Amino acid sequence: MELSTFVVAVLLTSVGAGTVGAVLGLGGGILLVPILTIFYGVDMHYAMGASIISVIATSGGAAAAYVKTGLSNVRIGLFLVMATIAGALTGALLAGVVPVRWLELILGLALSYSAFATLQQINLELPRELPDDWLAMRLGLEGVYYDRRLDQEVKYRATRIGRGFGAMYAAGVLSGLLGIGSGAFKVLAMDHFMRLPMKVSTATSNFMIGITAAASAGIYFTRGDIHPLIAAPVAIGVLLGAYLGSVVMVRLRNATVRKVFLPVVVYLALSMILRSLGVRLF
Amino acid sequence: MRGGSGLDGPGGPATGTSVEALIARVLLWGGLVSGLFVLLGLTLYAAGGGVSARVLELHRLGRPERLAHPPDVFVSLGEVLRGLSARPLDPLAVTALGLVLLLMTPALGVAVAIPAFVRAGDRRYAAIAGIVLAMLLVSLLLAGGVA
Repeated sequence: MELSTFVVAVLLTSVGAGTVGAVLGLGGGILLVPILTIFYGVDMHYAMGASIISVIATSGGAAAAYVKTGLSNVRIGLFLVMATIAGALTGALLAGVVPVRWLELILGLALSYSAFATLQQINLELPRELPDDWLAMRLGLEGVYYDRRLDQEVKYRATRIGRGFGAMYAAGVLSGLLGIGSGAFKVLAMDHFMRLPMKVSTATSNFMIGITAAASAGIYFTRGDIHPLIAAPVAIGVLLGAYLGSVVMVRLRNATVRKVFLPVVVYLALSMILRSLGVRLF
Repeated sequence: MRGGSGLDGPGGPATGTSVEALIARVLLWGGLVSGLFVLLGLTLYAAGGGVSARVLELHRLGRPERLAHPPDVFVSLGEVLRGLSARPLDPLAVTALGLVLLLMTPALGVAVAIPAFVRAGDRRYAAIAGIVLAMLLVSLLLAGGVA
């Protein structure tokens, strides 16, 4: 492949990854890394470096719009991101000490359960009223956003903060140990445990993944994993795609976002279980 | 679209809008400016014949030997600055500068949130944003140590 063809192909792929990432609250690495390595023959390290760029570009392209309109909850995001970064630092320290295969199996089973739980509330548009959580009250983990699709203001308050915070810490540890993105776990924790509206979950995850990725960006950069000729089309494509995705997402129903999200959880669950058995999907 | 007033309803965060608007602006401009540098560098590289000169050399994108990273890859701010001050200018250094700015944008968003929360009278969240920024700096230092 000519380099110019490669750059254009990666750019177009990245527009798609950015759009999907912006809607689902993921960094797009789950799409980009396999495509770059399998179809474009990019080395795994450069693909991971491109993935970090993609995560931060998704945040730059989409979170700006989400934060401005209140769909990303900055307070909830900053509060939870403490847990994720602390977890990622723990994970980095534990690397090589913990048996990875068991972790992958446990994670795969936990994700299978999450997929099942997501399926059970697949058509739920807005969370039902739940008992107040004292921590959420104290920390003001609540908000209002104007839902374009429902044409109404939606008020929400997070619940089961302890479990959500714990899940975020665990997600950080696992992503640090297993080298996988944690966007999907962030969305699941906010959707399941904390009972936030689905769109608030993915938009807040979008805000958070940029910060979490920034924590490891330095390592990728100094290691030489960020190749300008690969990272440049990824950055431009994802910025554009994420902007497009943010325009689309505000017009979708919460239930629709969840339906698009479910296959991602199923894929992650399967790939983790297979990895624990020694089979890598990519 | 409703203005900021919707965020200040009873029981809602009383100080929401200004902090959120500021963070949104930082994220937006960070993304735009870094995206422009990345695009400018790539365009200059293509204009200089870089892209067509490298026909069928894609295999070199594969990871080379551990110690010698290819000249296209920048691993420190110093290298980026050297590339920028070199004459003729290294177009990929412009791209790398854009990428570094992009990588720094989220931390910048957290950093500006601290004084914004303080101004809004929300010391608790100023502290939380401070903790997040401190952890980001710790992980950056760890990255430097690894290198």
